[in-house]
Amino acid sequence: MTHMDLDLILQQAIDEITAASDLKTLNDARVTWLGKKSQIIAALKSLGQLPADERPLAGEKINLVRQKVQALLEERLAELNAQKIAEQLISESVDITLPGRCQKIGTLHPVTLTRNRIEKIFMQMGFASVTGPEIEDDFHNFTALNVPPLHPARAMQDTFYFADGSLLRSQMSPVQIRVMKQTPPPLRIIAMGRVYRRDFDLTHTPMFHQIEGLMIDENINFSGLKGILTQFLQAFFSKDVTLRFRASYFPFTEPSAEVDVACQSCEAKGCRICKYTGWLEVLGCGMVHPEVFHQVGIDSERYTGWAFGAGLDRLTMLRYGLTDLRALFENDLRLLQQFSGVIE
Amino acid sequence: MKLSELWLRERIGSHIKLADLCQKLTLSGLEVESISPVVNHFSDIVVAEVLTVEPHPEADRLQVCTVFDGDITVSVVCGAKNVFAGMKAAFAKVGAVLPDGMKIRKAKLRGVVSEGMLCSASELELAEKSDGLIILPHDAPVGTSLREYMQLDDHVIEILITPNRGDCLSVDGLAQEISALISCTLSSLMIPEITPTQNHMLSVVVNEPDSCPRYVGRIIRQINVAAVTPLWLQERLRRSGLHTIHPIVDVMNYVMLELGQPMHAFDLAKLSGDICVRHARSNEKIALLDGREVTLNTNTLVIADQIGPQAIAGVMGGQFSAVTADTQDIFLESAFFQPQTIIAAVQNYQIASESSHRFERGVDPYIQKIAIERATQLILEIAGGEVCPMVEVQYDAQLPTHKKIILRSARLTKIIGLSISSETVFDIFTRLGFTARVIEAGWEVQVPARRFDIKLEIDLIEEIIRVYGYEKISPTSIVAHLQTNRLFESSQLFSAIVATLVAKNYHEVITYSFIDKKIQNLFDATLSPLELVNPMSSEMNVMRTSLWPGLIQVLQYNCNRQQTDVRIFESGNCFRQSTEQFVLAGLVAGSVLPLQWGVAERSVDFFDVKGDIENLLLLSGQSLADFSFQPLDHSALHPGQAASIYLGKHCVGRFGLLHPNLAKLLDLKGNIYLYELDVALLQKRVLPQMKELSKFPTVQRDIAILVDKSIPVEQIQATIFAVGGELLQSLTLFDVYQGAGIPLNKKSMAFSLMLQHVARTLTDDEVDNFMQNVYSVLQNVHAAELRSMT
Repeated sequence: MTHMDLDLILQQAIDEITAASDLKTLNDARVTWLGKKSQIIAALKSLGQLPADERPLAGEKINLVRQKVQALLEERLAELNAQKIAEQLISESVDITLPGRCQKIGTLHPVTLTRNRIEKIFMQMGFASVTGPEIEDDFHNFTALNVPPLHPARAMQDTFYFADGSLLRSQMSPVQIRVMKQTPPPLRIIAMGRVYRRDFDLTHTPMFHQIEGLMIDENINFSGLKGILTQFLQAFFSKDVTLRFRASYFPFTEPSAEVDVACQSCEAKGCRICKYTGWLEVLGCGMVHPEVFHQVGIDSERYTGWAFGAGLDRLTMLRYGLTDLRALFENDLRLLQQFSGVIE
Repeated sequence: MKLSELWLRERIGSHIKLADLCQKLTLSGLEVESISPVVNHFSDIVVAEVLTVEPHPEADRLQVCTVFDGDITVSVVCGAKNVFAGMKAAFAKVGAVLPDGMKIRKAKLRGVVSEGMLCSASELELAEKSDGLIILPHDAPVGTSLREYMQLDDHVIEILITPNRGDCLSVDGLAQEISALISCTLSSLMIPEITPTQNHMLSVVVNEPDSCPRYVGRIIRQINVAAVTPLWLQERLRRSGLHTIHPIVDVMNYVMLELGQPMHAFDLAKLSGDICVRHARSNEKIALLDGREVTLNTNTLVIADQIGPQAIAGVMGGQFSAVTADTQDIFLESAFFQPQTIIAAVQNYQIASESSHRFERGVDPYIQKIAIERATQLILEIAGGEVCPMVEVQYDAQLPTHKKIILRSARLTKIIGLSISSETVFDIFTRLGFTARVIEAGWEVQVPARRFDIKLEIDLIEEIIRVYGYEKISPTSIVAHLQTNRLFESSQLFSAIVATLVAKNYHEVITYSFIDKKIQNLFDATLSPLELVNPMSSEMNVMRTSLWPGLIQVLQYNCNRQQTDVRIFESGNCFRQSTEQFVLAGLVAGSVLPLQWGVAERSVDFFDVKGDIENLLLLSGQSLADFSFQPLDHSALHPGQAASIYLGKHCVGRFGLLHPNLAKLLDLKGNIYLYELDVALLQKRVLPQMKELSKFPTVQRDIAILVDKSIPVEQIQATIFAVGGELLQSLTLFDVYQGAGIPLNKKSMAFSLMLQHVARTLTDDEVDNFMQNVYSVLQNVHAAELRSMT
């Protein structure tokens, strides 16, 4: 093969490879110029026919052309691959602002959120969460709580009754009584659940939720009660709320107190929410009355204890800025959906 | 309790600001609920004298008066019938502003000039209605501002008195309390002993000394029937929220407000013979002052004469012997009734009165004579009369005594958590009117009998801390023994279920535990629900036996507000035959997914909801194979789409499509799926125990078969599992088909089987044989025809 022949082959290969616009054409070009039947490979095979002294030079020349074609093929292949990916990327682009396809997320009822939050706070302090029946007897709901049948405090709560004399618990305290009867002190419990009173207006529903807490040990006192309720309410509202303890009366605790927090919407200046008093009543508490200890067989000389009770619904309203208690039990999905993603 | 600030201030020697006083009361347990002015604002109204009264020349109903207001004499046209020459009246001068904002101007009324207005009580908002002008006392100084004269710069303080503090239901009691709280002097009332002028007496017999340890009575005769209650007394009653009724009744009420002793006045002429305090006899009746007639119980204490009961003791008098406008002679009663007796009567007859309110909480057992003297004094002032001697029946043994209670200083410190100095404690007792004596352990305290709330050492501790001030006790951190509460697997299950439901777009709802009996019956006519004796309304009269009615109501509420895609759940107790069962229930209606692009809209169906339920069941840690769904016959559910859910032998839930009849009845559209799970029965939460994974490759094979339409897939799966043994790692149904190309009454089902050996690689032959075996068993057991096997 002559010089001229080789140059011509090279030129033709270059033209063809450069012109290849897709992988198939490029592959055809590879077969044409470097395949088993190609002129270049044929030339290499025919080297043996040359005189021995011409072979090295001729071989070198042919190999040079082969390498050039080879390099060109690879270069073009890379180009075409890159081009293909680029096209793929363009064709696969989406409008990333289109909304994701999904099921939505549901919600927990706000009262449950409050309940969970309070449970966590008291769990941190080693309290156990306990439950009890909602249909109670007179003894556990009243008598054991130092409210015997002919007691003026019976009129403080209007209770729902059944024909057999049993009743719907009007407070969570019967649960405390049941635990105290069963478990010897020291005790550290909270009880949360549904309670019932015959009341229905803007601020009362015939069913609502309460939390009650009870701690009994040998060194429990009123000062510690103030301490733990301060910690609880500050943890619950996640801020340094100001508390006010007012003397009050509950048959089952003595001394008893109502606890107010400084109104947060007016910073205790007085507004519609706090009825212009600057304070919001959030819970009642006191030292367990010796008569209650007597009823459940706990030595009131050795042990002292405190108890408190609060409305979960009221705490929910304060935390989430709800103004109508009744809305909590209407279950309007548009209201519930506002709590989407809230976890406690 | 409501009362006038000025009345209270008469008794306490302090100029403490009203706001400070109320704050003090509130913090010490007597919560001040409101403070309001005793009258709305008005101006330029003075005491004036009516000099002359002439008929109006042009109008029959009007009169022309000349009125002297202290400065000038003016002509005033007046329509009131009770105007008379020489009267002292409340006069609004020209320029005066009335409480309703009306301004008084000089005007011509039917041609006569009127320069001002003579006022009635209702015009000044001192009464709801009034008949004619206010007639001021004859000695009212002309020209004085009415506000000053009637002491209208006063406030009504409304205090919430807790049931333990009956002693504070009077001006006297509150003054005593305030003097202890703010450490001020008390000015006591001067009540003279009155010498009788006549000697008539009714003899009094008390049959029930336990209920009535003291009864004091007195006759007053020949009172002036024309007497009227003086303005000052009317005003004090009004400021305490009581109406003026009759001078004698008004005095009874006044003394009750002042001293806390409820009293009653009988018309002596209506009483026959002597007074007996006894239990009612069977079938005795009494017509009460409030118009009700009641048949008395034989354990009710009554005040009776020879004929029958004239009053339910301490609660309410009878109509027959009540004081009227014609009454001349009266019999006054001032007694001490035991609280329990009165509570029983109030509960029995559902009657309450100002009197019973006080007796229930405890009246000072030592003030009956004082009260009757005070009432006598006031009656003489107002209506005159001849006073007769007091009758007194007293049983010392039954009278509450002044209690002696020991307070140990160590106990005081233990309860409060803070040491209060001995001097402070002693001082507080003294201020409260208790007599304390220092003893080695602490104090021996004598408590007045009027303090019914103080019986135990703890009651004294409360008094100390209350008067000392809760705010002075600083909060401390409790020191306690660290103890953990065990985390039970069972308690984790419920929160996992709830979290899963929330992740699946369920909203938690809370509905009332009591529902309408009619709705309850629609959902379950077989269970008779627990009925409330005193429900809030007929819509809340029985305890729910299922959560479904509540969920349906939430659905209705939201559908009415254009919210039709509803996925909700509730957890709570159901009340079934006196047991409380904790149940979780769900309701799904509307679209399976929220409306969105790229997903065809589709209504939720049985299997969408079943998938949710299966996910919940899996949270128990058990496999789906442990559960079975069995056909359920339930009145609220579609018979062809209803299932009981079993875990082994226990039914743990129910699920199905709301029956179309019920949906129609409740006016609900579209398919509504309901389910409920008895969480307690699921609570055997199984912890996964790790199994080693096989290192050898898995083989996937599919088989499609044709079987009778009626064969439940569960049976076919059970058959395959039985054949599969250890090799079969999983079995997935991936297609169910009926229709074109499939004979009627047949269905095609395709399963994917995953095979794996723990110890070696499976050969093709082995797998082929396995699949062949599966098919032949299906053929034998279910008459299955093979469609394909790959």
